[in-house]
Amino acid sequence: MKDPVVLKVSLPKIPDIELVAVEGLDRLARHLGIADGKLGEARILVTEAIINALEHSGNATVNVEFTMTTKELTIFVRDYGKGFEVASVENPDLQAKLGSKHKRGWGLKVMKSMSDDFKIESGPDGTRITIRKLLS
Amino acid sequence: MEQPFSLTSELRDKRLIITTSGYVNNVGGEAIAREFQRHFENGTKEVVLNLAQSKVVNSVGMSFLIEIIEQLEESKGKLVFTNLDPAVEKMLTIMGLFEFAGKAATIEDALKSFARQK
Repeated sequence: MKDPVVLKVSLPKIPDIELVAVEGLDRLARHLGIADGKLGEARILVTEAIINALEHSGNATVNVEFTMTTKELTIFVRDYGKGFEVASVENPDLQAKLGSKHKRGWGLKVMKSMSDDFKIESGPDGTRITIRKLLS
Repeated sequence: MEQPFSLTSELRDKRLIITTSGYVNNVGGEAIAREFQRHFENGTKEVVLNLAQSKVVNSVGMSFLIEIIEQLEESKGKLVFTNLDPAVEKMLTIMGLFEFAGKAATIEDALKSFARQK
């Protein structure tokens, strides 16, 4: 089995910068011989974690770290923004969104539901999201 | 790398088919909603959204589709997704969109599903 590969990248807040991280993820997977079909949910998790950080942190940069083996991927996204009260984030419901002006707010739900492990810690020194996704 | 977003649309028997390509982000989601709105105002109530060439989407882009579903619900219309990547399908399932929208393997299957509802 190949050793884990690690990618660390610091992303500025510019449009679609999350695709740079997705490209990095794809390259790690190709190096490890992971089939493209196993990456779909991982790509969405990476995208959601980064746009969540860039949108809500109020900070200009997000640090992203991937650790990938042939079996699993760990995604760590760190920002140094203002943080937020995790418990106060409402669980979105489509019925409630219909007729409401606020249609957004799905990122945390998608990440929690799609990952195999999900942890979020947020405070005045920023937010850390850690996601584990099995690739087998 | 995932390509920038673009879309095409066509009408077949008064049914709108929107085909996207590339990353569906907020800009892409808004463009889909705008294209839908243009046809909806002219009476189109049956819509196929073909995401065959969009393997990466985000929830902000997908949230624009709720506006489409909302308007179609009020006018007894229907949105059907086709050619979904499994990961995109899972995201839409998590968001609950299939409570109000359909899904089909191909555009032709989606068009047939409208005919069966008549």
